Amino acid sequence: MANESHSSGGFATRLEGRSFMDLNRCAIVPTIENIVATFVLDCELDLKKIAQQARNAEFNPKRFSAAIMRIREPKTTALIFSSGKVVCTGARTEADSKLAARKFARIIQKLGFEVKFKYEPELFPGLIYRMKHPKIVLLVFVSGKIVLTGAKERDEIYRAFDSIYPVLGGFRKIFRNAV
Amino acid sequence: MATFELYRRSTIGMCLTETLDDMVQNGTLSPEIAIQVLVQFDKSMTEALETNVKSKVSIKGHLHTYRFCDNVWTFILQDAVFKNEDNPENVGQVKIVACDSKLLSQ
Repeated sequence: MANESHSSGGFATRLEGRSFMDLNRCAIVPTIENIVATFVLDCELDLKKIAQQARNAEFNPKRFSAAIMRIREPKTTALIFSSGKVVCTGARTEADSKLAARKFARIIQKLGFEVKFKYEPELFPGLIYRMKHPKIVLLVFVSGKIVLTGAKERDEIYRAFDSIYPVLGGFRKIFRNAV
Repeated sequence: MATFELYRRSTIGMCLTETLDDMVQNGTLSPEIAIQVLVQFDKSMTEALETNVKSKVSIKGHLHTYRFCDNVWTFILQDAVFKNEDNPENVGQVKIVACDSKLLSQ
């Protein structure tokens, strides 16, 4: 398993056992600041009733067709649509986003709606990378799996992989420790 | 013309409503007149607060809950401090109900 530590200035990647890649390469890792998740509650919602009965809710249909609700922990905001679709924003980790989504669903359920919770995080399943030389299409997934396609010869696959590999190292996912 | 009926929930508004109810019950007053009285009460309260009240108060506290529905804001504040020119006043819990006065002219 990989160990990762980071200070406020930069990042250091330390691995047990084997060296991941050429460590001369600067590992710049983006910090996740905000997560937007969408989920479906599988039933129609009376937004006025929700705004009247739930706490920390706003509903102004003249301005926006969704009800806006907030919870303190995790500190998130939900946009609730009458179709039953809910958008949850503001979480900094996927776990928080999922937890917040469940809390919003529970609040709505307690108001008497027949809620069936389906969490489908709207993450595009894969990144499509169209390499020019060689002309290969790569699909990069969150799991770390890569699909390479479009080659006429085996050698093109290997060359494409060799050039993408160091690039991907810079996008290794960081798992924040709970404080 | 529409009025804001929120002032009917004040102490004076409740007393008025109670009195009018009694008078309607024992036949002294017709329900229609009673409603007209309440509507006039709404208008008079709004006008009085607009023209006769000059003092400004700042309210600071922890926002416990908020709600916005039917163009009415409701806030519940905890450990609030009401500050005007004189001495500040501490209130453990306060409910604030606010309507947008711009909507009166619609």
